[in-house]
Amino acid sequence: MKPPGASNGDDRKGAYVFRLYLADGAPNSMRALANLYAICHKYFPESHRVEVIDVLKEPLRALAEAIFVTPTVVKVSPAPEQHIIGNLSDEEEVLRALGLPQKEKG
Amino acid sequence: MDGRKKRADVLAKIPSGIEGFDDITCGGLPQGGTTLLMGGPGCGKTVLALQVLVNGALHRGAPGIFVAFEEKARHVAANAETFGWDMRKLERKELFFLDACLRSDVVKAGAFDLTGLLAALEAKAGEMGAKLIVFDAVDVLLSLLDDAAGECRELYRIHEWLTRHELTGILTTKIEGNRPEAASRYGFMPFMADCAVLLGQQVAGRAVVREMRVLKYRGSPHVLDAVPFVIGAEGVEVGSANGVHPEPQPFEERVSTGVERLDAMLGGGFFRGTNALITGSSGTGKSMLAGNFIEAACRRGERGLFVSFDENSRDIVRDLASVSIDLAPHLESGLLKMEAARSAAASSEEHFMRIKRLIGEHRPGCLAIDPLSALARIGGGLAARAVAERLIFICRNAGITALFTSLLEGVDKHLETTPLHLSTIVDSWMQISYSLNGGERNRALSIIKSRGSKHSNQQRELIFSDTGITLADPYTAGGGVLMGTLRIEKENAMRAEAERKRHEIKQKGRELELVTADRDLQFETAQRGLRTRSEELDALRRAEKTSADEHTQRRDEVARRRDGKLVREQAPAKRQPAADGRKNGGKRK
Repeated sequence: MKPPGASNGDDRKGAYVFRLYLADGAPNSMRALANLYAICHKYFPESHRVEVIDVLKEPLRALAEAIFVTPTVVKVSPAPEQHIIGNLSDEEEVLRALGLPQKEKG
Repeated sequence: MDGRKKRADVLAKIPSGIEGFDDITCGGLPQGGTTLLMGGPGCGKTVLALQVLVNGALHRGAPGIFVAFEEKARHVAANAETFGWDMRKLERKELFFLDACLRSDVVKAGAFDLTGLLAALEAKAGEMGAKLIVFDAVDVLLSLLDDAAGECRELYRIHEWLTRHELTGILTTKIEGNRPEAASRYGFMPFMADCAVLLGQQVAGRAVVREMRVLKYRGSPHVLDAVPFVIGAEGVEVGSANGVHPEPQPFEERVSTGVERLDAMLGGGFFRGTNALITGSSGTGKSMLAGNFIEAACRRGERGLFVSFDENSRDIVRDLASVSIDLAPHLESGLLKMEAARSAAASSEEHFMRIKRLIGEHRPGCLAIDPLSALARIGGGLAARAVAERLIFICRNAGITALFTSLLEGVDKHLETTPLHLSTIVDSWMQISYSLNGGERNRALSIIKSRGSKHSNQQRELIFSDTGITLADPYTAGGGVLMGTLRIEKENAMRAEAERKRHEIKQKGRELELVTADRDLQFETAQRGLRTRSEELDALRRAEKTSADEHTQRRDEVARRRDGKLVREQAPAKRQPAADGRKNGGKRK
């Protein structure tokens, strides 16, 4: 899937691939975007890719992919697929959902 | 009120397609506004919302979107199929179901909003031209926010979005208990919405009694009272007899009770469009009279509806056949519809809805419900009375002549009360009681009231026989009406007396004949005597005249003989009087 939105990182095996559905300009969405990049850079700076989908631009795609709340992050790989909703301000919860060891921040 | 009415005219509404609901909301949902349906679990919010959507698609060709936050959309659609709504057909074009249930493994990490959903819905609505959107159980999603202010904000977001796009929205939300103002979590919701309806249910007896109440309707009048509703085979039915209906025209026409003599007692029968109550204890023959009434209606070519409780139709047909009341041909021709219900199977409200639907389908001219008191069995007397009142109201409005029976149980026969206190609201009331005398139990019918017409105040014996139902002639003795054997004895005595009288009259007649004949004879005899005498007299007179002539002749002859010579000339002189008579001067001497 070729993302029209911003993308970053590489497609190597074992890389973290995310899809972020957001409403461009909405506070929670903007915060989620910032938080997702922060987490990616912090925990897997060399192996991540983020596809950003603006539901305001592609509403029917969001509908087809069963995305109802914004922001929603879908971890596409590594399997299993995981949905996380919210602005990702609760970092601990995000890490738990991604199966990463917590409190690395120390 | 007039001012409000004007505003109501201005406020555009979309009909829900649910008759009673449109009654209590004075026209339906606010167009381009938000309607909130609140209630506890299982009280019918989803069905009501879905029904409005389906009605719009089916009857107004208005496409709609259903967003399911709690149930899977396909479950909702499957549920809708059970009400006979063809979802598969509608889903192709008019309806869109959106499964907005979050995956069970979704993790929430921070605040979110519905911007994305609304953007998606906006696109979808534009694509299909939808004007109505249902957000079913939106509280399920919003409760994930775990933030009262956030929930409030998202609801306002939906509300504003609807308003901005001139979409009509229905939001359903659960509340604890039946008091929305007490539920602080969504306490603000009724204030936000343009129209708020509270749905509730409670168990009365063992039956569920549902009711709804319009809490508010911005800019529109509405019915303030809670109204009962049921979820029946075809969805939600709201029982509102409170809506504004035109006054029915009173009828002057009379409708036969089926018993000629009872008609006579009532001054010609029931007035058309009125209702009558027959009360009596078990076995007094109330059902027979009800069946007879309906049969008579069908025989006149009217449509009849016979609703019986706790007795199946076949038994009723058989019982009535025993008194020569044959319902079978009318059942076959379709004029008659019989419905057997079990009183314990449903609440009075559900029974009411069913009967109402039957009336709508069959359009009867005459209706019998046997017994109406069965309504009171489940759901309590008060609810049943309200139901009975609405039933009467519906019948009056539709011009249906209705006959209800009501069972009196364990009540002193002299104390004529009805379990639902129906007697005050019905137009006519007849009581059948057992009359004990002469070692017999006989049925006695009396008319207690009959509005707008004169009626007999006599108590009459009700007789069921092979040839039908009738009332016996009244015989009173010692201040009471004679019944049964006593009546038969009295009848026999009366017959004997009549026979004797008839005989006597015959006798007298014969005597008179004889006397008349005798007189005629005497008259004849006298006449004859008179005639005889009169003839004798004539004869005498004739005889006397003859002799007088002879005397004159003789005298003349004597005179001639005295003259002598003139005797011969006398005769020619008489033949030629002008020639000879005057010459005969001697004759003049």
